[in-house]
Amino acid sequence: MRPARRGLVMAAASAGADGVRAGEAADPAMDETGNANGAAAAAVGEPEAEAPPLPGLQLVHQGAEARVYRGLFLGRAAVAKLRIPKRYRHPALEERLSRRRMAQEARSLLRCRRAGISAPVVYFVDYVTNSIYLEDIVGSITVQDHINSVQRSENDTSSLLTLAEKMGEVLARMHDEDLIHGDLTTSNVLLRPPVEKLDLVLIDFGLSFISGLPEDKGVDLYVLEKAFLSTHPDTETLFQALLKSYAAASKKSGPVIKKLDEVRLRGRKRSMVG
Amino acid sequence: MELTHGLELFPDCTVTLLLFNHVKNAAALRKKAMEGSIEGALINPAMIVDPFQILVAANKAVHLHRIGKMKTRTLNAEIIFSLSPNNNISDAFKKFGISDSDTAVLIVLVVDKEKTVNLGDIVTQVEGQQVSLNELPQLTDTARVKKMYKVTPQEEKLGTLLDSIVCRMSTKDVI
Repeated sequence: MRPARRGLVMAAASAGADGVRAGEAADPAMDETGNANGAAAAAVGEPEAEAPPLPGLQLVHQGAEARVYRGLFLGRAAVAKLRIPKRYRHPALEERLSRRRMAQEARSLLRCRRAGISAPVVYFVDYVTNSIYLEDIVGSITVQDHINSVQRSENDTSSLLTLAEKMGEVLARMHDEDLIHGDLTTSNVLLRPPVEKLDLVLIDFGLSFISGLPEDKGVDLYVLEKAFLSTHPDTETLFQALLKSYAAASKKSGPVIKKLDEVRLRGRKRSMVG
Repeated sequence: MELTHGLELFPDCTVTLLLFNHVKNAAALRKKAMEGSIEGALINPAMIVDPFQILVAANKAVHLHRIGKMKTRTLNAEIIFSLSPNNNISDAFKKFGISDSDTAVLIVLVVDKEKTVNLGDIVTQVEGQQVSLNELPQLTDTARVKKMYKVTPQEEKLGTLLDSIVCRMSTKDVI
Protein backbone atom coordinates (compact mmCIF):
# COMPACT_ATOMS: atom_id res chain seq x y z
CA MET A 1 0.00 0.00 0.00
CA ARG A 2 2.84 2.32 0.82
CA PRO A 3 4.12 3.17 -2.65
CA ALA A 4 0.73 4.15 -4.05
CA ARG A 5 -0.22 6.26 -1.07
CA ARG A 6 3.12 7.97 -1.19
CA GLY A 7 2.58 8.73 -4.84
CA LEU A 8 -0.80 10.28 -4.23
CA VAL A 9 0.48 12.19 -1.24
CA MET A 10 3.30 13.52 -3.38
CA ALA A 11 0.89 14.69 -6.04
CA ALA A 12 -1.39 16.25 -3.47
CA ALA A 13 1.46 17.95 -1.66
CA SER A 14 2.89 19.58 -4.73
CA ALA A 15 -0.53 20.50 -6.10
CA GLY A 16 -1.41 22.15 -2.81
CA ALA A 17 1.93 23.86 -2.52
CA ASP A 18 1.70 25.43 -5.94
CA GLY A 19 -1.39 27.32 -4.87
CA VAL A 20 0.53 29.76 -2.67
CA ARG A 21 2.58 32.10 -4.78
CA ALA A 22 4.87 35.01 -4.00
CA GLY A 23 3.60 38.50 -3.49
CA GLU A 24 0.08 37.48 -2.65
CA ALA A 25 0.38 37.67 1.10
CA ALA A 26 3.12 40.22 1.68
CA ASP A 27 2.39 41.78 5.02
CA PRO A 28 5.30 43.98 6.14
CA ALA A 29 3.96 44.06 9.69
CA MET A 30 4.55 40.36 10.00
CA ASP A 31 8.08 40.47 8.71
CA GLU A 32 10.05 39.29 11.75
CA THR A 33 13.39 40.08 10.23
CA GLY A 34 12.65 43.76 9.71
CA ASN A 35 14.41 43.33 6.43
CA ALA A 36 14.14 46.23 4.05
CA ASN A 37 15.44 44.39 1.07
CA GLY A 38 12.31 45.03 -0.92
CA ALA A 39 11.32 41.49 -0.17
CA ALA A 40 7.99 39.84 0.13
CA ALA A 41 8.81 37.80 3.20
CA ALA A 42 6.46 34.94 3.97
CA ALA A 43 3.54 36.12 6.00
CA VAL A 44 1.75 32.85 5.36
CA GLY A 45 2.50 30.14 7.86
CA GLU A 46 5.33 30.48 10.36
CA PRO A 47 7.12 33.79 10.66
CA GLU A 48 9.84 32.29 12.88
CA ALA A 49 12.09 31.13 10.06
CA GLU A 50 13.93 34.26 8.95
CA ALA A 51 14.32 35.20 5.36
CA PRO A 52 17.96 35.22 4.27
CA PRO A 53 19.39 38.74 3.94
CA LEU A 54 20.14 38.52 0.25
CA PRO A 55 19.93 41.51 -2.05
CA GLY A 56 16.97 41.45 -4.40
CA LEU A 57 15.24 38.89 -2.20
CA GLN A 58 11.93 37.52 -3.46
CA LEU A 59 9.83 34.72 -2.06
CA VAL A 60 9.30 32.41 -4.97
CA HIS A 61 7.45 29.49 -3.49
CA GLN A 62 6.03 28.31 -0.22
CA GLY A 63 5.76 24.58 -0.12
CA ALA A 64 4.94 22.15 2.64
CA GLU A 65 8.61 21.40 3.21
CA ALA A 66 10.38 24.65 2.54
CA ARG A 67 10.25 28.28 1.54
CA VAL A 68 12.09 29.08 -1.65
CA TYR A 69 13.61 32.51 -2.21
CA ARG A 70 15.49 34.11 -5.07
CA GLY A 71 18.26 36.60 -4.54
CA LEU A 72 21.89 37.43 -5.13
CA PHE A 73 24.41 35.34 -3.25
CA LEU A 74 28.06 36.29 -3.50
CA GLY A 75 27.21 38.19 -6.67
CA ARG A 76 25.33 35.36 -8.37
CA ALA A 77 21.66 34.73 -9.00
CA ALA A 78 20.80 32.12 -6.41
CA VAL A 79 17.92 30.21 -4.93
CA ALA A 80 17.76 29.90 -1.14
CA LYS A 81 15.71 27.01 0.16
CA LEU A 82 14.82 27.27 3.83
CA ARG A 83 13.29 24.20 5.40
CA ILE A 84 10.20 24.94 7.47
CA PRO A 85 10.51 23.45 10.94
CA LYS A 86 7.73 21.03 11.74
CA ARG A 87 6.77 21.89 15.30
CA TYR A 88 4.63 18.81 15.75
CA ARG A 89 7.70 16.63 15.51
CA HIS A 90 9.90 15.78 18.44
CA PRO A 91 12.80 18.28 18.24
CA ALA A 92 15.48 15.61 18.14
CA LEU A 93 13.72 13.87 15.30
CA GLU A 94 13.12 17.15 13.52
CA GLU A 95 16.80 18.07 13.69
CA ARG A 96 17.94 14.70 12.49
CA LEU A 97 15.41 14.50 9.68
CA SER A 98 16.09 18.00 8.43
CA ARG A 99 19.80 17.41 8.43
CA ARG A 100 19.45 14.09 6.66
CA ARG A 101 17.16 15.51 3.98
CA MET A 102 19.50 18.41 3.34
CA ALA A 103 22.52 16.16 3.18
CA GLN A 104 20.69 13.86 0.78
CA GLU A 105 19.70 16.77 -1.39
CA ALA A 106 23.25 18.09 -1.55
CA ARG A 107 24.68 14.64 -2.19
CA SER A 108 22.18 13.88 -4.94
CA LEU A 109 22.76 17.19 -6.68
CA LEU A 110 26.48 16.50 -6.80
CA ARG A 111 25.88 12.93 -7.95
CA CYS A 112 23.69 14.20 -10.77
CA ARG A 113 26.28 16.64 -11.99
CA ARG A 114 29.07 14.10 -11.84
CA ALA A 115 26.97 11.84 -14.06
CA GLY A 116 26.24 14.62 -16.53
CA ILE A 117 22.62 15.13 -15.44
CA SER A 118 21.62 18.76 -15.31
CA ALA A 119 20.86 19.91 -11.77
CA PRO A 120 21.50 23.19 -9.93
CA VAL A 121 24.98 23.85 -8.54
CA VAL A 122 25.17 23.86 -4.74
CA TYR A 123 26.73 27.06 -3.43
CA PHE A 124 26.35 26.66 0.33
CA VAL A 125 24.66 24.37 2.82
CA ASP A 126 23.78 25.72 6.26
CA TYR A 127 22.88 22.93 8.65
CA VAL A 128 22.14 25.41 11.44
CA THR A 129 19.28 27.28 9.78
CA ASN A 130 18.50 24.30 7.54
CA SER A 131 18.97 26.28 4.39
CA ILE A 132 20.62 25.47 1.11
CA TYR A 133 21.83 28.01 -1.43
CA LEU A 134 21.74 26.85 -5.04
CA GLU A 135 22.24 28.11 -8.55
CA ASP A 136 19.21 29.94 -9.89
CA ILE A 137 18.35 28.78 -13.39
CA VAL A 138 17.41 32.25 -14.55
CA GLY A 139 14.42 32.47 -16.86
CA SER A 140 13.48 28.83 -16.44
CA ILE A 141 9.96 27.52 -16.31
CA THR A 142 8.69 24.28 -14.88
CA VAL A 143 7.66 21.53 -17.25
CA GLN A 144 4.28 21.77 -15.57
CA ASP A 145 3.83 25.41 -16.58
CA HIS A 146 5.15 24.68 -20.04
CA ILE A 147 2.76 21.81 -20.70
CA ASN A 148 -0.13 23.90 -19.38
CA SER A 149 0.71 26.83 -21.59
CA VAL A 150 1.15 24.68 -24.71
CA GLN A 151 -2.11 22.86 -24.08
CA ARG A 152 -3.97 26.09 -23.41
CA SER A 153 -2.71 27.82 -26.53
CA GLU A 154 -3.51 24.68 -28.55
CA ASN A 155 -0.23 25.12 -30.28
CA ASP A 156 1.67 22.33 -31.91
CA THR A 157 1.46 19.69 -29.21
CA SER A 158 3.83 17.38 -31.03
CA SER A 159 6.62 19.38 -29.42
CA LEU A 160 5.33 17.95 -26.14
CA LEU A 161 6.05 14.47 -27.44
CA THR A 162 9.70 15.35 -27.93
CA LEU A 163 9.71 16.86 -24.45
CA ALA A 164 8.32 13.62 -23.01
CA GLU A 165 10.99 11.64 -24.85
CA LYS A 166 13.69 13.93 -23.51
CA MET A 167 12.34 13.45 -19.98
CA GLY A 168 12.42 9.70 -20.41
CA GLU A 169 16.07 9.93 -21.42
CA VAL A 170 17.06 12.09 -18.47
CA LEU A 171 15.23 9.87 -15.98
CA ALA A 172 16.84 6.80 -17.52
CA ARG A 173 20.26 8.32 -17.00
CA MET A 174 19.37 9.20 -13.41
CA HIS A 175 18.11 5.73 -12.59
CA ASP A 176 21.12 4.17 -14.27
CA GLU A 177 23.15 6.05 -11.66
CA ASP A 178 20.96 4.32 -9.06
CA LEU A 179 19.65 7.70 -8.02
CA ILE A 180 16.00 7.77 -6.96
CA HIS A 181 14.47 11.25 -7.04
CA GLY A 182 11.66 10.49 -4.63
CA ASP A 183 9.36 13.32 -5.65
CA LEU A 184 9.09 13.27 -9.41
CA THR A 185 6.50 15.72 -10.63
CA THR A 186 6.36 18.06 -13.58
CA SER A 187 7.01 20.99 -11.26
CA ASN A 188 10.32 19.44 -10.23
CA VAL A 189 11.72 19.52 -13.75
CA LEU A 190 12.76 22.86 -15.20
CA LEU A 191 13.28 23.98 -18.77
CA ARG A 192 16.31 26.20 -19.24
CA PRO A 193 15.71 29.08 -21.67
CA PRO A 194 15.29 28.98 -24.62
CA VAL A 195 12.49 26.50 -24.11
CA GLU A 196 12.77 25.04 -27.63
CA LYS A 197 16.14 23.54 -26.77
CA LEU A 198 14.43 21.18 -24.31
CA ASP A 199 17.33 21.55 -21.90
CA LEU A 200 15.93 19.87 -18.79
CA VAL A 201 17.10 20.53 -15.24
CA LEU A 202 16.06 18.31 -12.34
CA ILE A 203 15.42 19.99 -9.00
CA ASP A 204 14.24 19.25 -5.46
CA PHE A 205 16.14 16.20 -4.35
CA GLY A 206 15.06 16.49 -0.73
CA LEU A 207 13.46 13.05 -0.76
CA SER A 208 16.07 11.37 -2.91
CA PHE A 209 18.12 8.31 -2.05
CA ILE A 210 20.50 5.82 -3.66
CA SER A 211 19.08 2.45 -4.71
CA GLY A 212 19.69 -0.11 -7.40
CA LEU A 213 16.39 -1.89 -6.81
CA PRO A 214 13.98 -1.96 -9.76
CA GLU A 215 11.19 -1.65 -7.17
CA ASP A 216 12.40 1.78 -6.07
CA LYS A 217 12.88 2.95 -9.64
CA GLY A 218 9.46 1.64 -10.56
CA VAL A 219 7.90 3.52 -7.67
CA ASP A 220 9.77 6.66 -8.72
CA LEU A 221 8.18 6.40 -12.16
CA TYR A 222 4.81 5.58 -10.64
CA VAL A 223 4.92 8.76 -8.57
CA LEU A 224 5.64 10.70 -11.74
CA GLU A 225 2.88 8.94 -13.62
CA LYS A 226 0.33 9.77 -10.95
CA ALA A 227 1.47 13.37 -10.72
CA PHE A 228 1.61 13.70 -14.49
CA LEU A 229 -1.83 12.31 -15.24
CA SER A 230 -3.54 14.11 -12.39
CA THR A 231 -2.02 17.50 -13.19
CA HIS A 232 -2.23 17.32 -16.97
CA PRO A 233 -5.44 15.94 -18.43
CA ASP A 234 -5.36 13.85 -21.61
CA THR A 235 -1.65 13.18 -21.49
CA GLU A 236 -1.69 9.39 -21.47
CA THR A 237 0.06 9.22 -24.84
CA LEU A 238 2.65 11.68 -23.64
CA PHE A 239 3.52 9.56 -20.63
CA GLN A 240 3.61 6.46 -22.81
CA ALA A 241 6.17 8.19 -25.00
CA LEU A 242 8.15 9.07 -21.87
CA LEU A 243 8.21 5.45 -20.74
CA LYS A 244 9.14 4.21 -24.20
CA SER A 245 12.05 6.63 -24.32
CA TYR A 246 13.05 5.62 -20.79
CA ALA A 247 13.03 1.95 -21.72
CA ALA A 248 15.17 2.60 -24.77
CA ALA A 249 17.67 4.81 -22.96
CA SER A 250 18.13 2.80 -19.80
CA LYS A 251 20.25 -0.31 -19.74
CA LYS A 252 18.39 -1.73 -16.78
CA SER A 253 14.87 -0.73 -17.75
CA GLY A 254 13.29 -4.18 -18.23
CA PRO A 255 12.83 -5.10 -14.58
CA VAL A 256 11.94 -1.49 -13.76
CA ILE A 257 9.02 -1.34 -16.19
CA LYS A 258 7.91 -4.73 -14.93
CA LYS A 259 7.89 -3.44 -11.37
CA LEU A 260 6.03 -0.33 -12.50
CA ASP A 261 3.26 -2.53 -13.88
CA GLU A 262 3.15 -4.40 -10.61
CA VAL A 263 3.03 -1.21 -8.56
CA ARG A 264 0.18 0.12 -10.69
CA LEU A 265 -1.86 -2.89 -9.67
CA ARG A 266 -1.22 -2.16 -6.01
CA GLY A 267 -2.81 1.28 -5.74
CA ARG A 268 -5.95 2.26 -3.87
CA LYS A 269 -9.14 0.44 -4.73
CA ARG A 270 -7.27 -2.03 -6.86
CA SER A 271 -8.04 -5.66 -6.95
CA MET A 272 -5.39 -7.61 -5.11
CA VAL A 273 -6.52 -10.81 -6.75
CA GLY A 274 -3.89 -12.91 -8.46
CA MET B 1 43.11 46.87 -8.29
CA GLU B 2 41.99 44.57 -5.54
CA LEU B 3 38.53 43.01 -5.43
CA THR B 4 36.21 43.43 -2.47
CA HIS B 5 32.88 41.72 -1.88
CA GLY B 6 30.58 41.59 1.12
CA LEU B 7 29.25 38.37 2.58
CA GLU B 8 25.48 38.74 2.45
CA LEU B 9 24.89 36.25 5.23
CA PHE B 10 27.42 38.00 7.46
CA PRO B 11 26.74 41.69 6.85
CA ASP B 12 29.64 42.87 9.00
CA CYS B 13 32.16 40.92 6.94
CA THR B 14 33.90 41.86 3.73
CA VAL B 15 36.29 39.76 1.69
CA THR B 16 39.18 41.41 -0.15
CA LEU B 17 41.29 39.66 -2.76
CA LEU B 18 44.77 40.87 -3.72
CA LEU B 19 46.64 39.28 -6.58
CA PHE B 20 50.40 39.50 -7.05
CA ASN B 21 52.59 38.35 -9.94
CA HIS B 22 56.37 38.10 -10.37
CA VAL B 23 56.70 37.41 -6.66
CA LYS B 24 60.27 36.86 -5.47
CA ASN B 25 59.83 36.21 -1.75
CA ALA B 26 57.28 33.41 -1.72
CA ALA B 27 59.35 31.43 0.77
CA ALA B 28 59.52 34.34 3.23
CA LEU B 29 55.80 35.01 2.79
CA ARG B 30 54.95 31.39 3.46
CA LYS B 31 57.01 31.51 6.63
CA LYS B 32 55.23 34.68 7.74
CA ALA B 33 51.87 33.05 7.03
CA MET B 34 52.75 30.04 9.15
CA GLU B 35 53.91 32.29 11.99
CA GLY B 36 50.77 34.37 11.67
CA SER B 37 52.68 37.59 11.09
CA ILE B 38 50.97 38.44 7.84
CA GLU B 39 47.28 39.16 7.57
CA GLY B 40 45.18 37.10 5.26
CA ALA B 41 45.21 33.67 3.67
CA LEU B 42 47.95 33.08 1.12
CA ILE B 43 46.67 31.05 -1.78
CA ASN B 44 48.18 29.63 -4.95
CA PRO B 45 46.36 31.39 -7.83
CA ALA B 46 47.06 28.47 -10.18
CA MET B 47 44.31 26.56 -8.40
CA ILE B 48 41.76 29.37 -8.60
CA VAL B 49 39.54 29.85 -11.66
CA ASP B 50 37.39 32.72 -10.47
CA PRO B 51 37.01 35.02 -7.46
CA PHE B 52 33.63 33.38 -6.83
CA GLN B 53 35.51 30.24 -5.83
CA ILE B 54 37.26 32.22 -3.10
CA LEU B 55 34.01 33.86 -1.98
CA VAL B 56 32.33 30.48 -1.57
CA ALA B 57 35.28 29.22 0.47
CA ALA B 58 35.37 32.37 2.60
CA ASN B 59 31.61 32.23 3.18
CA LYS B 60 31.81 28.67 4.40
CA ALA B 61 34.85 29.42 6.56
CA VAL B 62 33.20 32.41 8.22
CA HIS B 63 30.02 30.39 8.79
CA LEU B 64 31.90 27.57 10.50
CA HIS B 65 33.96 30.07 12.46
CA ARG B 66 30.81 31.76 13.75
CA ILE B 67 29.28 28.51 14.94
CA GLY B 68 32.56 27.23 16.34
CA LYS B 69 32.74 24.24 14.01
CA MET B 70 35.88 24.92 12.00
CA LYS B 71 38.01 21.95 11.11
CA THR B 72 41.23 23.96 11.25
CA ARG B 73 42.56 26.34 13.86
CA THR B 74 42.28 29.73 12.21
CA LEU B 75 39.87 31.44 9.85
CA ASN B 76 42.57 31.81 7.20
CA ALA B 77 43.46 28.15 7.40
CA GLU B 78 39.77 27.31 7.14
CA ILE B 79 39.46 29.33 3.94
CA ILE B 80 42.26 27.33 2.37
CA PHE B 81 40.75 24.09 3.64
CA SER B 82 37.32 25.01 2.25
CA LEU B 83 38.82 25.27 -1.22
CA SER B 84 39.77 21.62 -1.16
CA PRO B 85 37.41 18.98 -2.58
CA ASN B 86 38.46 16.51 0.10
CA ASN B 87 38.69 16.49 3.88
CA ASN B 88 42.45 16.17 4.19
CA ILE B 89 43.76 19.35 5.81
CA SER B 90 47.47 18.97 5.09
CA ASP B 91 46.73 18.08 1.48
CA ALA B 92 44.66 21.26 1.20
CA PHE B 93 47.57 23.38 2.41
CA LYS B 94 49.96 21.65 0.07
CA LYS B 95 47.78 22.09 -3.00
CA PHE B 96 46.06 25.42 -2.33
CA GLY B 97 48.53 27.21 -0.12
CA ILE B 98 51.65 28.78 -1.55
CA SER B 99 54.95 26.98 -1.91
CA ASP B 100 58.45 28.43 -1.79
CA SER B 101 58.90 28.37 -5.56
CA ASP B 102 55.66 30.12 -6.46
CA THR B 103 55.84 33.36 -8.43
CA ALA B 104 52.25 34.39 -7.99
CA VAL B 105 50.29 34.81 -4.80
CA LEU B 106 46.63 35.48 -4.05
CA ILE B 107 45.97 37.03 -0.65
CA VAL B 108 42.48 36.79 0.81
CA LEU B 109 41.46 39.03 3.69
CA VAL B 110 38.27 38.65 5.66
CA VAL B 111 37.59 41.81 7.59
CA ASP B 112 35.03 42.72 10.23
CA LYS B 113 33.50 46.14 9.79
CA GLU B 114 35.01 47.53 12.98
CA LYS B 115 38.54 46.56 12.04
CA THR B 116 40.30 48.70 9.50
CA VAL B 117 42.82 46.87 7.42
CA ASN B 118 45.85 48.52 5.95
CA LEU B 119 46.16 47.07 2.47
CA GLY B 120 49.31 49.09 1.89
CA ASP B 121 50.95 47.21 4.75
CA ILE B 122 50.37 43.90 3.07
CA VAL B 123 51.36 45.12 -0.37
CA THR B 124 54.75 46.30 0.93
CA GLN B 125 55.47 42.89 2.41
CA VAL B 126 55.14 41.23 -0.99
CA GLU B 127 58.16 41.52 -3.27
CA GLY B 128 56.14 41.44 -6.41
CA GLN B 129 53.76 43.35 -8.63
CA GLN B 130 50.16 43.76 -7.56
CA VAL B 131 47.88 43.06 -10.50
CA SER B 132 44.16 43.25 -11.10
CA LEU B 133 41.99 40.18 -10.43
CA ASN B 134 41.15 40.29 -14.14
CA GLU B 135 44.53 38.69 -14.73
CA LEU B 136 43.62 35.66 -12.64
CA PRO B 137 42.57 33.48 -15.61
CA GLN B 138 46.06 33.84 -17.06
CA LEU B 139 47.53 32.40 -13.89
CA THR B 140 45.13 29.46 -13.60
CA ASP B 141 46.46 25.99 -14.35
CA THR B 142 43.22 24.56 -15.76
CA ALA B 143 44.56 21.05 -16.25
CA ARG B 144 45.78 20.88 -12.68
CA VAL B 145 42.48 22.23 -11.38
CA LYS B 146 40.48 19.65 -13.35
CA LYS B 147 42.68 16.91 -11.97
CA MET B 148 42.47 18.14 -8.38
CA TYR B 149 38.70 18.43 -8.42
CA LYS B 150 38.28 15.24 -10.47
CA VAL B 151 35.89 16.82 -12.93
CA THR B 152 34.23 14.17 -15.11
CA PRO B 153 33.94 14.62 -18.90
CA GLN B 154 30.12 14.39 -18.74
CA GLU B 155 30.12 17.15 -16.18
CA GLU B 156 32.15 19.48 -18.37
CA LYS B 157 29.29 19.55 -20.85
CA LEU B 158 26.83 20.64 -18.17
CA GLY B 159 28.41 23.84 -17.05
CA THR B 160 31.59 25.72 -16.39
CA LEU B 161 34.61 24.41 -14.53
CA LEU B 162 33.72 26.86 -11.78
CA ASP B 163 30.31 25.19 -11.37
CA SER B 164 31.91 21.79 -10.86
CA ILE B 165 34.42 23.17 -8.39
CA VAL B 166 31.94 25.08 -6.28
CA CYS B 167 29.59 22.11 -6.10
CA ARG B 168 32.33 19.90 -4.74
CA MET B 169 33.49 22.51 -2.25
CA SER B 170 30.03 22.95 -0.79
CA THR B 171 29.07 19.29 -0.59
CA LYS B 172 32.31 17.69 0.52
CA ASP B 173 31.19 17.26 4.12
CA VAL B 174 28.30 15.00 3.17
CA ILE B 175 29.63 13.05 0.23
